[in-house]
Amino acid sequence: MGPDQGNGNGAPPPNWGVAFDLGLRLGISVILGVGGGLLLDSWLHTSPIFTLVGMVLGIGAAMYTIWDVAKQSMGR
Amino acid sequence: MVHVEIKAEELFAIGPLIVTNSMVGVLLASIVLLLAAWWFTRRSGIVPSRGQSLLELPIEFLAGVVRGTGGKRWRQFAPFVFAIFLYVLIANWLSLLPGVGTIGLAEEVDGEKIIVPFVRAGAADLNFTLGLALISFVAFVAFGLRANGLRGYLKELLIAEPAYMTPLLTPIHLISELSRVISLSMRLFGNVFAGEVLLATMLALTTATVFILPLAFVVPGIFLGLELLFGLVQALVFALLSMTYITLAIAEHRQHGSSDDHSGEAPEQGAAPAHGSA
Repeated sequence: MGPDQGNGNGAPPPNWGVAFDLGLRLGISVILGVGGGLLLDSWLHTSPIFTLVGMVLGIGAAMYTIWDVAKQSMGR
Repeated sequence: MVHVEIKAEELFAIGPLIVTNSMVGVLLASIVLLLAAWWFTRRSGIVPSRGQSLLELPIEFLAGVVRGTGGKRWRQFAPFVFAIFLYVLIANWLSLLPGVGTIGLAEEVDGEKIIVPFVRAGAADLNFTLGLALISFVAFVAFGLRANGLRGYLKELLIAEPAYMTPLLTPIHLISELSRVISLSMRLFGNVFAGEVLLATMLALTTATVFILPLAFVVPGIFLGLELLFGLVQALVFALLSMTYITLAIAEHRQHGSSDDHSGEAPEQGAAPAHGSA
């Protein structure tokens, strides 16, 4: 396979980086949401409201990431 | 006793600037790259020699990947992707040279003698990988701004469709954007640091007793070979992900069908479609 011919039938070569990225980003999204919520709760003394909100947002962000990556892949 | 410090160790300070052994590793990588660039620009010819062809091979391969997946405007960000790739690759491979991580000053910490190496793998310090990830982040924001304009970019980032979902979707979008930076930096740091720990452990295990000493010439060598491969893969992953994010930032512009092209580059004939541009 030449360097610029993709897989030889005109399609671009697969971008494996996206696959490496997905798993880690799912975990990080949830950690960011929960971490942000914990910080807000300790600052505003509202525990556990923002922790729960952060968790929901983090899980939502993880799902959004899957959707985003799937959208890119289908767009190829 | 295996001792690998997660934090880069301080060597000396120049005023308020603390110089760590990881910084020395990164500086060495920069010097190698600058010297290679100087040598290459002086010696390279239109008809490449055998050595030049060998050096151009990885660049041609990466150019093929960037051209194939980077969309019409791949030429705009290809130098950035190459630079990231070569920088991470050289920094990773330099850390496998003899003396790196093993020659240093003997210090006593908590009654134990440890070696504080003069040079350490640059990417085994989170500061370096986070810095690179932030550079990538700035790059894909800049390319997004260039393609969408400030208004279009902020609209894309902050306003969801349908509009009443904005309070829910905007924080989700922001978390997802932020996770890119953390994911880029943590992956590279984690892999390189784990490699350091693995090599140190293998060396310590095989030199533990005199009966298995011959293994010390074989086993770490196998893992050094694997680290050579992992260094290449991690450099490639970092560069390709940076490219993917930039491509996405540009592709979003086309998805929303805006007709004003801020970059002003003419479409290239035969270029492959970008991610998410359908």
